[in-house]
Order: sequence, then structure tokens, then C-alpha cells
Amino acid sequence: MTEAFPYLLLPHLWSSRNRARRRERGDLARGLLFGGVGVVVLGALFAGAFWLTWQLSDYDELGDYLLRLGLSWLFLTCLAFLTFSGIVTSLSTFYLSDDLRLLLAAPVAPRRLFYARFARTVAQSSWMVVVFLMPVLMGVGLARCAPIGFYLTTALTVVPFALIPVAVGAACTLLLVNVFPARRARDLLMLMGFLFAGSLVFVLRAIRPEQLLRAESLPDVTGFFQTLQSPVTPLLPSFWAGELLFASLNGNLDLIHAGALWTTALASCVVLRAAGERWHFSGYSRSQEAPKRRAMTLGAADFVARILPFSPVRRQLFLKDTKIFMRDVSQWSQLLLLLALVLIYLYNFRVLDLQRVPYMSGFIKNVYAFVNLGLASFVLATVAARFVFPAVSAEGAAFWIIRTSPISLRDFLWSKFWTGLVPVLVLTEGLTVAANELLGVDPVLKAVSACAIIFLSFALVGLATGLGARYPRFTADNPSQVAGSYGGIVYMILAVLLIIVTIVLLGWPSMTYLLFQVRQRPLETWRIGLMAVSCGAAAVITAATCVIGMRSGVRALEAMRN
Amino acid sequence: MIAIHNLVKQYGSFTAVDGITLDVRPGEIHGFLGPNGAGKTTTLRMIAGLLKPTSGRIAVNGHDMSAAPERAKGSLGFIPDRPFIYDKLTSGEFLRFHAGLYGLDGDGVDGRVHEMLDLFELRRWEHELVESFSHGMKQRLVMCAAFLHRPQAIAVDEPMVGLDPRGARLIKDVFRRMSERGVAILMSTHTLEVAQEMCQRISIILKGRIIAQGTVDEVRHLAGGGDDHLTSVFLKLTGGSALQELDEAV
Repeated sequence: MTEAFPYLLLPHLWSSRNRARRRERGDLARGLLFGGVGVVVLGALFAGAFWLTWQLSDYDELGDYLLRLGLSWLFLTCLAFLTFSGIVTSLSTFYLSDDLRLLLAAPVAPRRLFYARFARTVAQSSWMVVVFLMPVLMGVGLARCAPIGFYLTTALTVVPFALIPVAVGAACTLLLVNVFPARRARDLLMLMGFLFAGSLVFVLRAIRPEQLLRAESLPDVTGFFQTLQSPVTPLLPSFWAGELLFASLNGNLDLIHAGALWTTALASCVVLRAAGERWHFSGYSRSQEAPKRRAMTLGAADFVARILPFSPVRRQLFLKDTKIFMRDVSQWSQLLLLLALVLIYLYNFRVLDLQRVPYMSGFIKNVYAFVNLGLASFVLATVAARFVFPAVSAEGAAFWIIRTSPISLRDFLWSKFWTGLVPVLVLTEGLTVAANELLGVDPVLKAVSACAIIFLSFALVGLATGLGARYPRFTADNPSQVAGSYGGIVYMILAVLLIIVTIVLLGWPSMTYLLFQVRQRPLETWRIGLMAVSCGAAAVITAATCVIGMRSGVRALEAMRN
Repeated sequence: MIAIHNLVKQYGSFTAVDGITLDVRPGEIHGFLGPNGAGKTTTLRMIAGLLKPTSGRIAVNGHDMSAAPERAKGSLGFIPDRPFIYDKLTSGEFLRFHAGLYGLDGDGVDGRVHEMLDLFELRRWEHELVESFSHGMKQRLVMCAAFLHRPQAIAVDEPMVGLDPRGARLIKDVFRRMSERGVAILMSTHTLEVAQEMCQRISIILKGRIIAQGTVDEVRHLAGGGDDHLTSVFLKLTGGSALQELDEAV
């Protein structure tokens, strides 16, 4: 009863230790894969920060100004991320965690429980930001030959900087769960989060960073900097952190901003603790209520299922998947973000000013058709990773219903395939056709791109469905976890390889055709034959990927009985 | 109706089920008893087609589970010990989905769904999401689904866990009615009173082997007891008599 609050963190530490000790088949490959990706990402961040800072040092005062602005923007972005992450994480740690039943039933002082949960919330919501900031700030420090004090100041800045937004996030959650039941609040938060992310993307696009690349719009650059400066207000902890680190880069100690950071961090903890002691239990009690929930009827799905020529089994599988998807806010709200990204993608093609490149604009347009095909394929691969790969895992603990019913696992998996294929194909085909139309590419290339996307959609959806069945995670809390798992990464690597191979196989004949068009020369028969073989090989490889992926998935599902 | 012959399930060197032979006849409620870890759930999962036996044969309504799994499953209703269902479906939608899986379609489905919801007293919640259901309600919904397609046999794992007395009574009545209509029910349970009250025959499983089989009286006789309560017989057969002595001492 009298132990300090870290005692309450022991189960998590022991669980982590036990997880780390557990050895499974494929650990080495997994470690190498994840470790390799991690090292590459951290290395790229370090190199990017180092290069940019190094470049800026050539511009004296302007360079210093931009660096300060850059640090403030960096911390402002992290501040927004940490606040949102704090809201979501605290919802789970303070209200929805299963072990709370045990702890709240035990004679544990509320203050002790608060500190334990808050420490866990801070660690869970900020580790990613810390891992991201570490190489970036190290790159900045080394490029500016910063004294050792800079690195010490970095550590002393990041801690209070993380505490403040997470405390604010936890306070928002405290307020929300006292107004809505926690389970509804989670849906609301998901929706808010994706709307926030979508609008952020729109705002960044509205700044129109391409202006910087156009010499003729130089007078607009002042306006551009003013736009950049506007959200950097001295009242935010991100500004204090940026200023503190900038001062220490030059060997100075900015006590005012250090004091502001630390006192605000400590004050937030104290205020949050007081608020938690007062309102946490009432919020927790509300989160235990399971209010009666009348479901959205989703008559449109029933109508579609009725008119499509499905067997009863297929119809019911389609209806189940559609209704579960539409009723899960955490699933469909991500579509809003996707829609925002797609609109911006198309808008970029619309504003692309290829006429600035004289003589070659026609050829470049057609090259862009392949860039577009590549980008649309990556969108396709990512959408399939997020929405199709987790389809089998989404069955969760209820998968016994399918496995004990008189339908073959092959039928089940193919039903998942078709349910995933149709929306993905419509999205990416629409994206490719619209972008090519906006670019005004050659009609033959338009047709090649449109066909390629159809083949790639079959291949990538088949691969995602099959590998999703091969590496299911029935216990995952949400589909994002499944997409980020070992199997999800294996899928993404294979998908990227397939896209590269397909584009190379289609790119060579298309470019040959274009060059002969530009030079106004007829194509020889043997060359046409080779071009047909190349396109045929792309078709065979994509079709084989789909079939092999699905077969492998069916075999894996059948092997579950063992 | 449910015929199991020399069923074996091994996990590596561990044998969970070791040569079980069992026959549940039409209209019979067969109790499947045994201490924790004896192999009851593994056996039921093999019967339901969730696990593949290492060796042996399972047939439901004459259909071999290995050779014709879809036919065998079509004749069986399975009720697992924990009622995991799709949370984001309403109970009505879940039952219609289940009907579709078993090939039921057309106008008769709605009537059958309502019949089952009425039988298990869930009609009021037809349009509520399953996520708002209590454990007992979910358990009853799974039972609705298991009986929906009019199976010839039922495999049920611990049906009374989490049910209130009214729910337990309801389930007993439904099982009796179904058995009167010729449905074969294989029921694993820890509640010996339930077995004694409902089952025509019982099998007691220990360490993967059936150590006693027959009517309650036959098993009692086998254990060398006269009018012993089934609990005493069970403890004698499964080596838990020390526990009974402890219980009596307490």
C-alpha cells in the first residue's frame, strides 16, 4: 500500500522482459528486417538534418533565421502529434485498460495510480517522437559543430516538452470521458484525429511550397515566409524548446525558455493530478457502462447485396464485412484522410506546369504517365496493406464461426479478395485515368496505364489477402497493428518489388513506342514482338502473383487445423 | 449421429487426446466430463472441425469430417465455451449471416431467425449491436445460431458458464426439447448436477482417455459406489478423492 508508484509499472516491465526473452521461429529474419528498416530511416533522418543545416550555414543570418524557424516548426509538429497521441493513449491507459479493474479494486491510493498511469501514458505516447527527434537534433548539432552542452540541453528539453502536451491530451480525455462514455469517446477521437490530419494536409498544400522553385514568383517568397511564421507563437512550448536548443547550439544557455518549459511541465502534472483525483473515478465508472446501441441499418449495403448475383454465402459474407467496416469509426475515418490525399494528388497534376519545359513537354508528359502509374501503384499497395491485408485478422476471435460452418476456406478467402478488390480497383483506376487525362498523355499510354492498374490491382489485392491469411493477427486491437506487423512488412516489400518489375516490363515497350512516334519511324516486326513479350511477361507475373498469393493463403488457413 | 473412433490428438510429444471412441445416438444428451486439461475442449474442437486429429475418425450424421467436412459441418451445431461474435453486427444480422453460411436463403430465414430469438428470449434485442450484450446474452445468441439451421447434432462446450439461473433453466429446457426431436447432443460440462439431471449417458475423460462410459448408474457402479452422488463418483474416478476429503474437513 505504501510503495512508490513505479511498483505499479512492474507488470508492464516484466511483460516486456518476458516478451523480449521469448524466442520464436523467424526472430532473426524479423529482427534484421525491422532493425534494418529502422537503421535506414534513422540514418536518413540524420543525413537529411545534417545536410540541410550544413546548407543553411552558408547563408549567415538568413540561415540562422531559417534554422530557428525550422526548429520551431519541428517542435510544433511534434507538439501536435504528442497532444493527439496523449489523448488517445490516456483513453486506453486511464479508462479502458483491463488491469484497471484489478488496480481500482485494490487499496491503491488514487495519487499513486495516477502517477503510474501518467508515466505509462507519457512513455507510450512520446517514445516515437523521441526516437524521431534524436537523429534529427544530432544531425543539426554535428552540422553546426555544437558544444557538448547542446546534447545535454536536448535531453533536458525533450523531457518537459513531452510532458506538457501529453498532460494536456490526458486532460482533454478526462473531460471527454466525463461527458461521453469512454467507448463512444474513442470513436469520436478517431474521427477528430483523421479530420485533423486531413485538414493539416490541405493547409500544408494551401501554402503552395512550389512557389519557392519558381524564380519569377520571388516577390511572393516574403509572403511565403510570413505564412510559415504565423503559427510559431512565443506562447507555445514548441517555441520555447526551439529557442532553447538554438541558443545552446551557439553555446548559450537560455534560462528563460528553459524555466518556462520546466515550470509549465511540472505545473501541468500537478494540475492534471488534482483533476484526475477529482474526476478520474467518475469517468472510469462511465466507461464501464455499456449503453444500448441501436445500429446504423446500412440499407444501401443490403440493397447492393440483393441486386448483385451472389450466392447466399457470398452475399452474407459481403454484408458482414461491409457492415462491420462501416460501423467501425476507426476504419472508415481513415478513408477521409485517404480522400484528402487523393484530391491533393490530382490537384498536383492539374497545377503541374510542363509547358515551362519547351520542346520536350510532350515527351515529359508521357514520362509522367509512368510516374503516375508508379505513384498510383504505391497508393494501391498502401491501401491494400491497410484495408485488405488485415481482412482475415479482422475476423478476430469470431473466426471459429467461419471455421465451423460448412463453407470452404477457399470460398471464404476469395470472398475477402473480391470485397477488397472492387473498391481498391475503382479508386486506383479512377486515380490513374483522371491524372492521365489532366496531363493529356498519349492515348496508347493511357490504355497501357489503365490495363496495368487492373492487373496490378488483382496482383496486389491477391497478395495482400493471401499474405494476410498467412500471417494473421487475430488478437490485434486494430487493423493498423496488423498492417504494421511482420507479415505486413513482408507484403509491402513484395508489393514494391512487383511494382518495380511491372513498371520496368511495361516501361521499355512504352518508351520505345514513344521514341519511334517522336522520330516518326515505323516499328520493326521483331521489335513489336519483343514489346509484346515484355507486356505479356508483366501480365503473367501479376496474374501469377495473384493466384500464388491466394493459394498460399488458403493453404495457411487450412493448416490452422493442425 | 456423432461417431468418434480411436481419436488421437498430439501436440509435439504431448498427447492431449489419446484414442477416444464415442457414439452419441439420435435424441441422446451425452455428458462429457473430466477435470481441467483432460482433453474435453480439444475433442469438441476436433468434432467441430476446428482442429485436425492426429489420427482417428469423426463422423457427424454419417459424414466423415476429414473426407466431407462441409457436409459434416452442415449437420452440426457448435457452441464454444466462450461466445466470441462479431461485435459490430446486430443479433438479427448475425443470425442472418449464420443462416447464409449454412446455405439458408429466401423468405423462410426471417421467420426462423425470429423463432430462434423468441426461443432464447432475445427478440427485444434483435436490432441491438452485439457489443452491448452481456456474456449470458452472447451465449444465448450463439445457441440461437447453433440451432438455426436445424442441425442433427450439437457439440457444446460448457453451456452453463456465465448464465444466470433463469438462463440455465432455459438452456436445459431447449436441450431437452431438441433431444426429444432427435437431435444428438454432446455436452462437455463441469457442473455434475447438470450432467446428472440431463444426460442419458456420460463419458468421463482423464488425461486424454475415456475412463468410464455409460448411464449415470452404470458409471456409479463402475466406481464401486452405491448411491453415491455423481460428484463423489467423479472424484473417485479422476483421483480427486483427496480434494473431497479436504472439502468434507472444511
